[in-house]
Amino acid sequence: MIRVENISKRHEGRMVLKDVSMDIAEGANIGLIGPGGGGKSLILKIICGLVTPDSGNVFIDDIDVHSLGPTELADLRFRIGMLFQNYALFDFMNCADNIAFPLRQEGTHSEEEIAEAVHQALHDISLPDIGHLYPNELSGGMKKRVSFARAVIRRPPIVFYDDPTAGLDPVTSSKIFILLRKIQTELGVTSVTISHDIGGIKEICDRFVLLDQGKIIFEGDRDEIEASEIPIVKKFWHGFSDDELNV
Amino acid sequence: MSDQPLQSDENGETSAFRRLLSSLGEPVLEVAQTIKGIFQVFGLTWYYMLKGRPRWKATVEQLHEVGNRSVLFITVTLGFLGMILIYQAGYQAERITGDLQMLGGLFLQLLLREFAPTITAMMIATRVATGMAAQIGSMVVTEQVDALRMCAAQPVDYLVVPRFIATTIMMVVLSIFAVLVAYSAGAMTAYFSFGLNVRTFVDMSFIGWFDVLLGLSKALAYGMAIPIVACHAGLNVFGGSEGVGRATTNAVVNASLAVVFLDFVISGLGYVILGLVT
Repeated sequence: MIRVENISKRHEGRMVLKDVSMDIAEGANIGLIGPGGGGKSLILKIICGLVTPDSGNVFIDDIDVHSLGPTELADLRFRIGMLFQNYALFDFMNCADNIAFPLRQEGTHSEEEIAEAVHQALHDISLPDIGHLYPNELSGGMKKRVSFARAVIRRPPIVFYDDPTAGLDPVTSSKIFILLRKIQTELGVTSVTISHDIGGIKEICDRFVLLDQGKIIFEGDRDEIEASEIPIVKKFWHGFSDDELNV
Repeated sequence: MSDQPLQSDENGETSAFRRLLSSLGEPVLEVAQTIKGIFQVFGLTWYYMLKGRPRWKATVEQLHEVGNRSVLFITVTLGFLGMILIYQAGYQAERITGDLQMLGGLFLQLLLREFAPTITAMMIATRVATGMAAQIGSMVVTEQVDALRMCAAQPVDYLVVPRFIATTIMMVVLSIFAVLVAYSAGAMTAYFSFGLNVRTFVDMSFIGWFDVLLGLSKALAYGMAIPIVACHAGLNVFGGSEGVGRATTNAVVNASLAVVFLDFVISGLGYVILGLVT
Protein backbone atom coordinates (compact mmCIF):
# COMPACT_ATOMS: atom_id res chain seq x y z
CA MET A 1 0.00 0.00 0.00
CA ILE A 2 1.38 3.38 -1.04
CA ARG A 3 -0.06 6.53 0.52
CA VAL A 4 0.78 9.98 -0.79
CA GLU A 5 -0.31 12.73 1.62
CA ASN A 6 -0.51 16.42 0.73
CA ILE A 7 2.64 16.56 -1.36
CA SER A 8 3.74 19.99 -2.57
CA LYS A 9 6.90 20.74 -4.48
CA ARG A 10 8.30 23.94 -5.91
CA HIS A 11 10.90 23.71 -8.67
CA GLU A 12 12.80 26.68 -10.14
CA GLY A 13 10.30 29.12 -8.69
CA ARG A 14 7.25 27.27 -10.04
CA MET A 15 4.81 25.25 -7.94
CA VAL A 16 4.97 21.88 -9.72
CA LEU A 17 2.89 19.84 -7.26
CA LYS A 18 0.15 21.38 -5.15
CA ASP A 19 -1.11 19.42 -2.18
CA VAL A 20 -1.34 16.11 -4.03
CA SER A 21 -2.78 13.10 -2.17
CA MET A 22 -3.53 9.61 -3.43
CA ASP A 23 -3.68 6.02 -2.27
CA ILE A 24 -2.35 3.10 -4.30
CA ALA A 25 -3.70 -0.21 -3.03
CA GLU A 26 -1.59 -3.37 -3.09
CA GLY A 27 -1.86 -5.02 -6.50
CA ALA A 28 -3.42 -1.93 -8.12
CA ASN A 29 -2.26 -0.84 -11.56
CA ILE A 30 -2.54 2.92 -11.76
CA GLY A 31 -2.34 4.88 -14.99
CA LEU A 32 -1.00 8.38 -14.36
CA ILE A 33 -1.96 10.61 -17.26
CA GLY A 34 -2.08 14.29 -18.04
CA PRO A 35 -0.44 17.04 -20.06
CA GLY A 36 3.35 17.31 -20.11
CA GLY A 37 4.89 19.34 -17.29
CA GLY A 38 2.06 18.48 -14.94
CA GLY A 39 4.32 16.84 -12.35
CA LYS A 40 3.77 13.16 -13.20
CA SER A 41 7.43 12.08 -13.30
CA LEU A 42 8.17 14.22 -10.26
CA ILE A 43 5.54 12.47 -8.16
CA LEU A 44 7.06 9.06 -9.01
CA LYS A 45 10.50 10.34 -7.98
CA ILE A 46 9.05 11.68 -4.74
CA ILE A 47 7.40 8.31 -3.99
CA CYS A 48 10.79 6.57 -4.54
CA GLY A 49 12.59 9.07 -2.33
CA LEU A 50 14.71 10.39 -5.23
CA VAL A 51 13.30 13.89 -4.72
CA THR A 52 12.34 15.40 -1.37
CA PRO A 53 9.00 17.25 -1.31
CA ASP A 54 8.66 20.72 0.22
CA SER A 55 5.77 19.45 2.31
CA GLY A 56 3.74 16.27 2.72
CA ASN A 57 4.57 12.61 3.30
CA VAL A 58 4.84 9.38 1.37
CA PHE A 59 4.22 6.05 3.09
CA ILE A 60 5.04 2.67 1.59
CA ASP A 61 3.54 -0.03 3.81
CA ASP A 62 3.34 2.55 6.61
CA ILE A 63 7.03 3.42 6.31
CA ASP A 64 7.59 7.17 5.94
CA VAL A 65 9.89 7.23 2.89
CA HIS A 66 11.34 10.67 3.53
CA SER A 67 12.26 9.98 7.13
CA LEU A 68 14.59 7.12 6.15
CA GLY A 69 18.37 7.33 6.14
CA PRO A 70 20.39 6.32 3.03
CA THR A 71 20.79 2.69 4.14
CA GLU A 72 17.10 2.17 5.01
CA LEU A 73 16.10 3.91 1.78
CA ALA A 74 18.37 1.57 -0.19
CA ASP A 75 16.72 -1.41 1.54
CA LEU A 76 13.28 -0.06 0.64
CA ARG A 77 14.34 0.39 -2.98
CA PHE A 78 15.14 -3.32 -3.23
CA ARG A 79 11.33 -3.65 -3.33
CA ILE A 80 10.81 -1.08 -6.09
CA GLY A 81 11.60 -1.34 -9.79
CA MET A 82 11.66 1.71 -12.02
CA LEU A 83 11.68 2.08 -15.76
CA PHE A 84 13.00 5.56 -16.54
CA GLN A 85 11.73 7.78 -19.32
CA ASN A 86 15.20 8.16 -20.84
CA TYR A 87 16.17 4.49 -20.31
CA ALA A 88 18.89 5.46 -17.77
CA LEU A 89 21.02 2.48 -18.80
CA PHE A 90 24.57 2.70 -17.47
CA ASP A 91 26.56 3.57 -20.57
CA PHE A 92 29.82 2.13 -19.17
CA MET A 93 28.32 -1.37 -18.81
CA ASN A 94 27.10 -3.80 -21.43
CA CYS A 95 23.45 -4.89 -21.43
CA ALA A 96 24.06 -8.07 -19.44
CA ASP A 97 25.87 -6.13 -16.70
CA ASN A 98 23.13 -3.47 -16.72
CA ILE A 99 20.46 -6.10 -16.13
CA ALA A 100 22.61 -7.92 -13.56
CA PHE A 101 23.41 -4.74 -11.62
CA PRO A 102 20.44 -4.79 -9.18
CA LEU A 103 21.13 -8.43 -8.32
CA ARG A 104 24.85 -7.75 -7.77
CA GLN A 105 23.90 -4.87 -5.48
CA GLU A 106 21.86 -7.24 -3.32
CA GLY A 107 25.03 -9.26 -2.78
CA THR A 108 23.12 -12.46 -2.03
CA HIS A 109 23.36 -14.19 -5.41
CA SER A 110 26.19 -16.23 -6.89
CA GLU A 111 27.55 -15.25 -10.32
CA GLU A 112 26.01 -18.43 -11.75
CA GLU A 113 22.58 -17.47 -10.44
CA ILE A 114 22.99 -13.94 -11.81
CA ALA A 115 24.08 -15.23 -15.22
CA GLU A 116 21.06 -17.54 -15.33
CA ALA A 117 18.67 -14.73 -14.32
CA VAL A 118 20.15 -12.37 -16.94
CA HIS A 119 19.89 -15.08 -19.61
CA GLN A 120 16.22 -15.61 -18.71
CA ALA A 121 15.53 -11.85 -18.64
CA LEU A 122 17.06 -11.35 -22.10
CA HIS A 123 14.97 -14.25 -23.36
CA ASP A 124 11.81 -12.72 -21.80
CA ILE A 125 12.35 -9.42 -23.60
CA SER A 126 13.02 -11.30 -26.87
CA LEU A 127 16.59 -10.00 -27.12
CA PRO A 128 18.61 -13.10 -26.26
CA ASP A 129 21.77 -12.15 -28.16
CA ILE A 130 22.43 -8.57 -27.09
CA GLY A 131 23.99 -9.18 -23.66
CA HIS A 132 27.47 -8.19 -24.86
CA LEU A 133 26.32 -4.97 -26.56
CA TYR A 134 26.57 -1.54 -24.96
CA PRO A 135 23.53 0.79 -24.71
CA ASN A 136 24.82 3.08 -27.47
CA GLU A 137 24.66 0.13 -29.87
CA LEU A 138 20.91 -0.40 -29.31
CA SER A 139 17.78 1.16 -30.82
CA GLY A 140 15.33 3.09 -28.62
CA GLY A 141 12.94 0.15 -28.37
CA MET A 142 15.74 -2.25 -27.44
CA LYS A 143 16.98 0.16 -24.77
CA LYS A 144 13.48 0.35 -23.29
CA ARG A 145 13.26 -3.42 -23.13
CA VAL A 146 16.70 -3.76 -21.51
CA SER A 147 15.75 -1.03 -19.04
CA PHE A 148 12.52 -2.91 -18.35
CA ALA A 149 14.46 -6.14 -17.74
CA ARG A 150 16.71 -4.31 -15.26
CA ALA A 151 13.69 -2.80 -13.47
CA VAL A 152 12.04 -6.18 -12.87
CA ILE A 153 15.04 -8.55 -12.55
CA ARG A 154 14.66 -8.57 -8.75
CA ARG A 155 10.94 -9.36 -9.10
CA PRO A 156 10.00 -6.28 -7.03
CA PRO A 157 6.44 -6.06 -5.69
CA ILE A 158 6.20 -2.38 -6.79
CA VAL A 159 7.11 -1.17 -10.28
CA PHE A 160 6.97 2.35 -11.72
CA TYR A 161 7.02 2.92 -15.47
CA ASP A 162 7.81 6.47 -16.56
CA ASP A 163 6.51 6.82 -20.10
CA PRO A 164 7.55 3.33 -21.26
CA THR A 165 6.65 3.95 -24.91
CA ALA A 166 7.88 7.54 -25.36
CA GLY A 167 9.38 7.99 -28.81
CA LEU A 168 8.71 4.43 -29.94
CA ASP A 169 6.88 3.28 -33.06
CA PRO A 170 3.42 1.67 -32.61
CA VAL A 171 4.71 -1.90 -33.09
CA THR A 172 7.45 -1.51 -30.48
CA SER A 173 5.01 0.28 -28.16
CA SER A 174 2.65 -2.66 -28.46
CA LYS A 175 5.50 -5.07 -27.59
CA ILE A 176 6.35 -2.98 -24.51
CA PHE A 177 2.73 -2.99 -23.28
CA ILE A 178 2.58 -6.78 -23.80
CA LEU A 179 5.69 -7.06 -21.61
CA LEU A 180 4.16 -4.84 -18.93
CA ARG A 181 0.92 -6.84 -18.92
CA LYS A 182 2.90 -10.09 -18.72
CA ILE A 183 4.87 -8.94 -15.66
CA GLN A 184 1.69 -7.69 -13.98
CA THR A 185 -0.07 -11.00 -14.58
CA GLU A 186 2.90 -13.16 -13.58
CA LEU A 187 4.06 -11.25 -10.52
CA GLY A 188 0.89 -9.46 -9.41
CA VAL A 189 2.88 -6.26 -8.92
CA THR A 190 1.58 -2.91 -7.75
CA SER A 191 2.34 -0.54 -10.58
CA VAL A 192 2.10 3.09 -11.60
CA THR A 193 2.44 3.79 -15.32
CA ILE A 194 2.89 7.24 -16.80
CA SER A 195 1.98 7.29 -20.47
CA HIS A 196 0.53 9.46 -23.18
CA ASP A 197 -0.44 6.33 -25.10
CA ILE A 198 -4.06 6.12 -23.92
CA GLY A 199 -4.77 3.05 -26.06
CA GLY A 200 -1.92 1.16 -24.43
CA ILE A 201 -2.45 2.35 -20.88
CA LYS A 202 -6.14 1.33 -21.06
CA GLU A 203 -4.96 -2.24 -21.54
CA ILE A 204 -2.70 -2.50 -18.52
CA CYS A 205 -4.21 -0.22 -15.86
CA ASP A 206 -7.34 -0.58 -13.78
CA ARG A 207 -7.42 2.89 -12.23
CA PHE A 208 -6.52 6.25 -13.69
CA VAL A 209 -5.32 9.51 -12.22
CA LEU A 210 -5.19 12.69 -14.27
CA LEU A 211 -2.69 15.26 -13.07
CA ASP A 212 -2.73 18.76 -14.51
CA GLN A 213 -0.70 21.77 -13.35
CA GLY A 214 0.31 19.98 -10.19
CA LYS A 215 -3.20 19.00 -9.09
CA ILE A 216 -5.16 15.78 -9.31
CA ILE A 217 -8.13 16.59 -11.53
CA PHE A 218 -9.59 13.11 -11.75
CA GLU A 219 -9.21 9.73 -10.07
CA GLY A 220 -11.33 6.70 -10.95
CA ASP A 221 -11.63 3.40 -12.81
CA ARG A 222 -12.04 2.90 -16.53
CA ASP A 223 -15.82 3.25 -16.59
CA GLU A 224 -15.65 6.43 -14.54
CA ILE A 225 -13.04 8.05 -16.75
CA GLU A 226 -14.95 7.05 -19.89
CA ALA A 227 -18.07 8.71 -18.46
CA SER A 228 -16.33 11.76 -17.00
CA GLU A 229 -17.69 15.14 -18.08
CA ILE A 230 -14.65 17.10 -16.84
CA PRO A 231 -13.45 18.94 -19.97
CA ILE A 232 -9.72 18.24 -19.54
CA VAL A 233 -10.39 14.58 -18.81
CA LYS A 234 -12.57 14.28 -21.93
CA LYS A 235 -9.97 16.08 -24.00
CA PHE A 236 -7.11 13.97 -22.76
CA TRP A 237 -8.85 10.60 -22.69
CA HIS A 238 -10.47 10.95 -26.11
CA GLY A 239 -7.54 12.80 -27.60
CA PHE A 240 -9.14 15.92 -29.04
CA SER A 241 -8.64 19.63 -28.60
CA ASP A 242 -10.98 22.55 -29.25
CA ASP A 243 -8.18 25.07 -28.81
CA GLU A 244 -7.27 27.01 -31.89
CA LEU A 245 -3.73 26.61 -33.12
CA ASN A 246 -1.95 29.75 -34.17
CA VAL A 247 0.13 28.33 -37.00
CA MET B 1 17.72 32.36 -1.83
CA SER B 2 14.32 32.94 -0.37
CA ASP B 3 11.42 32.63 -2.76
CA GLN B 4 9.84 35.71 -1.20
CA PRO B 5 10.14 38.85 -3.31
CA LEU B 6 12.01 41.78 -1.84
CA GLN B 7 9.76 43.98 0.27
CA SER B 8 9.00 47.37 -1.14
CA ASP B 9 9.19 50.65 0.76
CA GLU B 10 6.36 53.16 1.12
CA ASN B 11 6.78 54.38 -2.47
CA GLY B 12 6.42 50.84 -3.75
CA GLU B 13 10.06 50.67 -4.75
CA THR B 14 12.61 48.21 -3.49
CA SER B 15 15.25 50.17 -1.63
CA ALA B 16 18.72 50.32 -3.12
CA PHE B 17 20.12 49.04 0.17
CA ARG B 18 17.97 45.93 0.02
CA ARG B 19 18.96 45.34 -3.59
CA LEU B 20 22.60 45.73 -2.64
CA LEU B 21 22.20 43.28 0.24
CA SER B 22 20.48 40.82 -2.05
CA SER B 23 23.16 41.09 -4.74
CA LEU B 24 25.85 40.53 -2.11
CA GLY B 25 23.98 37.82 -0.26
CA GLU B 26 23.17 35.56 -3.19
CA PRO B 27 26.77 34.74 -4.20
CA VAL B 28 27.80 34.44 -0.53
CA LEU B 29 25.00 31.91 0.09
CA GLU B 30 25.96 30.08 -3.09
CA VAL B 31 29.59 29.79 -2.02
CA ALA B 32 28.55 28.68 1.49
CA GLN B 33 26.24 26.06 -0.04
CA THR B 34 29.00 24.79 -2.32
CA ILE B 35 31.51 24.51 0.53
CA LYS B 36 28.94 22.71 2.69
CA GLY B 37 28.16 20.33 -0.18
CA ILE B 38 31.85 19.61 -0.80
CA PHE B 39 32.38 18.73 2.87
CA GLN B 40 29.28 16.50 2.81
CA VAL B 41 30.65 14.59 -0.19
CA PHE B 42 34.06 14.38 1.55
CA GLY B 43 32.47 12.94 4.72
CA LEU B 44 30.34 10.45 2.79
CA THR B 45 33.36 9.38 0.73
CA TRP B 46 35.30 8.48 3.87
CA TYR B 47 32.22 6.74 5.30
CA TYR B 48 31.75 4.52 2.23
CA MET B 49 35.49 3.99 1.84
CA LEU B 50 35.66 2.55 5.33
CA LYS B 51 32.25 0.83 5.47
CA GLY B 52 31.41 0.08 1.83
CA ARG B 53 32.27 -2.79 -0.45
CA PRO B 54 35.71 -2.38 -2.12
CA ARG B 55 35.42 -1.80 -5.89
CA TRP B 56 38.80 -2.95 -7.14
CA LYS B 57 37.93 -3.02 -10.85
CA ALA B 58 36.57 0.53 -10.86
CA THR B 59 39.52 1.75 -8.77
CA VAL B 60 42.08 0.16 -11.13
CA GLU B 61 40.27 1.74 -14.11
CA GLN B 62 40.46 5.13 -12.41
CA LEU B 63 44.14 4.61 -11.52
CA HIS B 64 44.76 4.08 -15.23
CA GLU B 65 42.59 7.08 -16.20
CA VAL B 66 44.13 9.49 -13.67
CA GLY B 67 47.69 8.14 -13.64
CA ASN B 68 48.73 6.46 -16.87
CA ARG B 69 46.81 8.81 -19.11
CA SER B 70 48.31 11.87 -17.42
CA VAL B 71 51.95 10.78 -17.76
CA LEU B 72 52.56 12.38 -21.16
CA PHE B 73 50.79 15.60 -20.14
CA ILE B 74 52.81 15.87 -16.92
CA THR B 75 56.07 14.98 -18.72
CA VAL B 76 55.59 17.75 -21.27
CA THR B 77 54.43 20.48 -18.86
CA LEU B 78 56.88 19.74 -16.05
CA GLY B 79 59.71 19.10 -18.52
CA PHE B 80 59.27 22.51 -20.12
CA LEU B 81 58.78 24.14 -16.74
CA GLY B 82 62.06 22.63 -15.52
CA MET B 83 63.90 23.92 -18.57
CA ILE B 84 62.42 27.43 -18.36
CA LEU B 85 63.01 27.80 -14.62
CA ILE B 86 66.64 26.67 -14.81
CA TYR B 87 67.35 28.83 -17.82
CA GLN B 88 65.86 31.93 -16.17
CA ALA B 89 67.45 31.24 -12.78
CA GLY B 90 70.82 30.37 -14.32
CA TYR B 91 70.80 33.47 -16.51
CA GLN B 92 70.10 35.72 -13.52
CA ALA B 93 72.58 33.93 -11.24
CA GLU B 94 75.31 34.14 -13.86
CA ARG B 95 74.72 37.88 -14.27
CA ILE B 96 74.70 38.63 -10.55
CA THR B 97 77.22 36.24 -8.98
CA GLY B 98 78.56 34.11 -11.82
CA ASP B 99 78.31 31.11 -9.50
CA LEU B 100 75.92 28.33 -10.54
CA GLN B 101 77.02 25.70 -8.03
CA MET B 102 73.90 25.98 -5.86
CA LEU B 103 71.49 26.09 -8.81
CA GLY B 104 70.65 22.35 -8.81
CA GLY B 105 70.32 22.03 -5.05
CA LEU B 106 68.02 25.02 -4.63
CA PHE B 107 65.98 24.01 -7.68
CA LEU B 108 65.42 20.54 -6.20
CA GLN B 109 64.27 22.07 -2.93
CA LEU B 110 61.87 24.37 -4.77
CA LEU B 111 60.53 21.46 -6.81
CA LEU B 112 59.95 19.27 -3.78
CA ARG B 113 58.36 21.95 -1.64
CA GLU B 114 56.27 23.73 -4.22
CA PHE B 115 56.42 23.29 -7.95
CA ALA B 116 56.16 19.53 -8.46
CA PRO B 117 53.02 18.88 -6.35
CA THR B 118 51.29 22.20 -7.08
CA ILE B 119 51.85 22.38 -10.85
CA THR B 120 51.00 18.66 -11.15
CA ALA B 121 47.80 19.27 -9.19
CA MET B 122 46.88 22.17 -11.48
CA MET B 123 47.42 19.92 -14.48
CA ILE B 124 45.34 17.14 -12.91
CA ALA B 125 42.62 19.65 -12.05
CA THR B 126 42.54 20.67 -15.71
CA ARG B 127 42.62 17.21 -17.23
CA VAL B 128 41.00 14.92 -14.69
CA ALA B 129 38.57 17.12 -12.73
CA THR B 130 36.80 18.29 -15.89
CA GLY B 131 36.47 14.69 -17.07
CA MET B 132 35.04 13.56 -13.73
CA ALA B 133 32.53 16.41 -13.56
CA ALA B 134 31.42 15.90 -17.16
CA GLN B 135 31.08 12.13 -16.79
CA ILE B 136 29.11 12.26 -13.54
CA GLY B 137 27.13 15.29 -14.72
CA SER B 138 26.06 13.43 -17.87
CA MET B 139 24.98 10.52 -15.69
CA VAL B 140 22.84 12.89 -13.60
CA VAL B 141 21.23 14.44 -16.68
CA THR B 142 20.43 11.07 -18.26
CA GLU B 143 18.97 9.79 -14.94
CA GLN B 144 21.73 7.17 -14.56
CA VAL B 145 22.47 8.46 -11.07
CA ASP B 146 18.78 8.08 -10.17
CA ALA B 147 18.92 4.57 -11.65
CA LEU B 148 21.94 3.80 -9.42
CA ARG B 149 19.91 4.90 -6.39
CA MET B 150 16.93 2.82 -7.51
CA CYS B 151 19.24 -0.21 -7.75
CA ALA B 152 20.12 0.46 -4.08
CA ALA B 153 23.62 1.74 -4.94
CA GLN B 154 24.88 4.95 -3.35
CA PRO B 155 26.28 7.34 -5.98
CA VAL B 156 29.07 8.52 -3.66
CA ASP B 157 30.06 4.92 -2.91
CA TYR B 158 29.85 3.83 -6.52
CA LEU B 159 31.16 6.88 -8.37
CA VAL B 160 33.20 9.01 -5.98
CA VAL B 161 35.11 6.49 -3.84
CA PRO B 162 37.07 4.83 -6.72
CA ARG B 163 37.95 8.25 -8.15
CA PHE B 164 38.99 9.53 -4.71
CA ILE B 165 41.29 6.57 -3.98
CA ALA B 166 42.80 6.62 -7.48
CA THR B 167 43.46 10.37 -7.56
CA THR B 168 44.95 10.40 -4.05
CA ILE B 169 47.38 7.59 -4.92
CA MET B 170 48.21 8.93 -8.37
CA MET B 171 48.73 12.50 -7.19
CA VAL B 172 51.59 11.28 -4.98
CA VAL B 173 53.04 9.07 -7.72
CA LEU B 174 52.76 11.79 -10.38
CA SER B 175 54.29 14.42 -8.08
CA ILE B 176 57.36 12.21 -7.54
CA PHE B 177 57.47 11.60 -11.28
CA ALA B 178 57.15 15.36 -11.87
CA VAL B 179 60.21 16.01 -9.65
CA LEU B 180 62.25 13.54 -11.70
CA VAL B 181 61.10 14.97 -15.05
CA ALA B 182 61.55 18.64 -14.14
CA TYR B 183 64.91 18.01 -12.45
CA SER B 184 66.23 15.98 -15.39
CA ALA B 185 65.06 18.65 -17.85
CA GLY B 186 66.67 21.31 -15.62
CA ALA B 187 69.95 19.37 -15.47
CA MET B 188 70.08 19.10 -19.26
CA THR B 189 69.30 22.81 -19.66
CA ALA B 190 72.01 23.73 -17.14
CA TYR B 191 74.52 21.56 -19.00
CA PHE B 192 73.72 22.75 -22.51
CA SER B 193 73.04 26.42 -21.70
CA PHE B 194 75.63 27.13 -19.02
CA GLY B 195 78.02 24.19 -19.28
CA LEU B 196 77.16 23.17 -15.71
CA ASN B 197 78.28 19.64 -14.97
CA VAL B 198 75.45 17.23 -14.11
CA ARG B 199 77.38 16.01 -11.04
CA THR B 200 77.51 19.58 -9.78
CA PHE B 201 73.83 20.15 -10.58
CA VAL B 202 72.66 17.02 -8.74
CA ASP B 203 73.13 18.33 -5.22
CA MET B 204 71.15 16.84 -2.34
CA SER B 205 72.78 18.89 0.41
CA PHE B 206 69.86 21.32 0.67
CA ILE B 207 67.23 18.60 0.98
CA GLY B 208 65.92 17.57 4.38
CA TRP B 209 63.00 15.56 5.73
CA PHE B 210 60.94 18.76 5.88
CA ASP B 211 61.08 19.29 2.11
CA VAL B 212 60.02 15.72 1.35
CA LEU B 213 57.28 15.75 3.98
CA LEU B 214 55.92 19.11 2.84
CA GLY B 215 55.80 18.00 -0.80
CA LEU B 216 54.13 14.69 0.02
CA SER B 217 51.59 16.38 2.32
CA LYS B 218 50.63 18.75 -0.45
CA ALA B 219 50.35 15.96 -3.01
CA LEU B 220 48.11 13.97 -0.65
CA ALA B 221 45.89 16.95 0.14
CA TYR B 222 45.51 17.92 -3.53
CA GLY B 223 44.83 14.31 -4.43
CA MET B 224 41.93 14.25 -1.99
CA ALA B 225 40.56 17.69 -2.82
CA ILE B 226 40.47 17.49 -6.62
CA PRO B 227 38.16 14.45 -7.02
CA ILE B 228 35.85 15.62 -4.23
CA VAL B 229 35.43 19.08 -5.78
CA ALA B 230 35.00 17.60 -9.28
CA CYS B 231 32.52 14.90 -8.25
CA HIS B 232 30.52 17.41 -6.18
CA ALA B 233 30.21 19.61 -9.28
CA GLY B 234 29.10 16.61 -11.34
CA LEU B 235 26.57 15.35 -8.81
CA ASN B 236 24.95 18.78 -8.56
CA VAL B 237 24.28 19.25 -12.25
CA PHE B 238 20.87 20.54 -13.26
CA GLY B 239 19.49 21.81 -16.52
CA GLY B 240 20.68 19.34 -19.18
CA SER B 241 23.78 19.72 -21.34
CA GLU B 242 24.13 23.38 -20.39
CA GLY B 243 24.35 22.25 -16.77
CA VAL B 244 27.07 19.75 -17.63
CA GLY B 245 29.10 22.53 -19.23
CA ARG B 246 28.62 24.68 -16.14
CA ALA B 247 29.69 21.80 -13.91
CA THR B 248 32.96 21.23 -15.80
CA THR B 249 33.79 24.92 -15.52
CA ASN B 250 32.94 24.88 -11.80
CA ALA B 251 35.04 21.75 -11.34
CA VAL B 252 38.21 23.20 -12.83
CA VAL B 253 37.79 26.62 -11.18
CA ASN B 254 36.96 25.22 -7.74
CA ALA B 255 39.62 22.51 -7.92
CA SER B 256 42.27 25.10 -8.86
CA LEU B 257 41.13 27.37 -6.03
CA ALA B 258 41.23 24.42 -3.63
CA VAL B 259 44.82 23.67 -4.72
CA VAL B 260 45.93 27.27 -4.21
CA PHE B 261 44.18 27.50 -0.84
CA LEU B 262 45.62 24.18 0.38
CA ASP B 263 49.07 25.22 -0.86
CA PHE B 264 48.85 28.37 1.24
CA VAL B 265 47.57 26.57 4.35
CA ILE B 266 49.99 23.61 4.20
CA SER B 267 52.98 25.85 3.45
CA GLY B 268 52.03 28.12 6.36
CA LEU B 269 51.52 25.22 8.74
CA GLY B 270 54.73 23.62 7.51
CA TYR B 271 56.83 26.66 8.30
CA VAL B 272 55.16 27.04 11.70
CA ILE B 273 55.96 23.37 12.52
CA LEU B 274 59.49 23.80 11.15
CA GLY B 275 59.95 26.81 13.41
CA LEU B 276 58.80 24.79 16.43
CA VAL B 277 61.06 21.80 15.85
CA THR B 278 64.23 23.71 14.96
